Amino acid sequence: MKPQEKRKKRFLSFLLISCASVAFSYSSGISVDAGLTPAQDRWIFRTQLRYMSFGSMAKINQKMEMYMVPVVLAYGLKSNLTVLCRQPIMRRDMSMMGASHAENGFGDLFVMGKFKIYRRNTLNYTLGVAATIGIEAPTGSDAFSSKTWDLQPGLYFSWRRGSLGSDVSIAYTWNGFANKGQNGVNPGNELAFDWAISYQFGLGTNSRISMAPVLEVSYRDISSDRLNSRDIENTGESILYISSGFKFTVSSLILEALLQLPAAQNRNRIQIERNATWLFGLRYMF
Amino acid sequence: MRKIGYTFSLILLITFFSSCLSERAKPALDNTEKIEIRIYEVFGMDCPGCQGGVEKLVNKIPGVLDSKANWKKKQIVVRIWRGQDASDEAIFDAIRRANFTPGKRTK
Repeated sequence: MKPQEKRKKRFLSFLLISCASVAFSYSSGISVDAGLTPAQDRWIFRTQLRYMSFGSMAKINQKMEMYMVPVVLAYGLKSNLTVLCRQPIMRRDMSMMGASHAENGFGDLFVMGKFKIYRRNTLNYTLGVAATIGIEAPTGSDAFSSKTWDLQPGLYFSWRRGSLGSDVSIAYTWNGFANKGQNGVNPGNELAFDWAISYQFGLGTNSRISMAPVLEVSYRDISSDRLNSRDIENTGESILYISSGFKFTVSSLILEALLQLPAAQNRNRIQIERNATWLFGLRYMF
Repeated sequence: MRKIGYTFSLILLITFFSSCLSERAKPALDNTEKIEIRIYEVFGMDCPGCQGGVEKLVNKIPGVLDSKANWKKKQIVVRIWRGQDASDEAIFDAIRRANFTPGKRTK
């Protein structure tokens, strides 16, 4: 192997390591309805196509694009309990200094239970509060798995008044709560905060079609990875996203699109910058 | 990327067509001697997607022919075979299990 190729390969390995932690974390997007638990015996199939791009550093011209299709199936086991599982399918394209590398595979399987804590429906408003507890199992491909068991508790609030709706969610991900990741590294824990506001209007005289523009604000704080109880340098970051999109509903089918823009990023020197994320999704309830 | 794009497009198409099929109109039954129409208030529905959840549970009640919820009007119209035992309480219970709150029976 020529010295130049060796150098490229080394750079790519470095890029892989530096990208790994940022790539697994993403802002949820279109988080509306989260506090309102679905009806008993209701199935919800949901999928999205997410396109995430990561910026380049001028010196080494590194670039990464990521495509993710999370497939979600949820079921209303009881009126106050919903179970959900999510399996992401992923692809990552990286390039640097003329060399490129691509990977395909499955992400980690996520299983979650959502419990209704409070629900009040009146003529004028609806208020819902729900708690979730989820576990992410290290089932994914090597390139896309954290290789740790992760625990994710969360709290969701939803409020509706007329056509106006607002949702707030707070979730904490305890990465590696039961084991350590590759090479004994504990991935950093993550705090997520999402706020969404939407205005829904019916289209036509038919009550089966509606359109809702959505505005979302998402904050992610990811703490540093740890090795032997010590923080690992150049890991951990915080990001604030401002997103705008819409939700189009035809009876039991919901189509959604969202553009997430990173408004502020606090990252360390080797992590590559996050650019915009595009999201196209659908939900079908039956 | 192409494979992911194709997979996503295929899922989109299948879901869209199954949604259209499930929306097929039921045969019209205008025999008012055999069918009773009841209307109930329902609070908490906030989008067209909510309607299907409550309709599914109400339709399972023995004696119910079909139902049609309307989130804008905050109501559900239920068609019931006359002489069958589909009580108001059974319908209220189905509305509650859909996580909505029943109001009055208006018809």
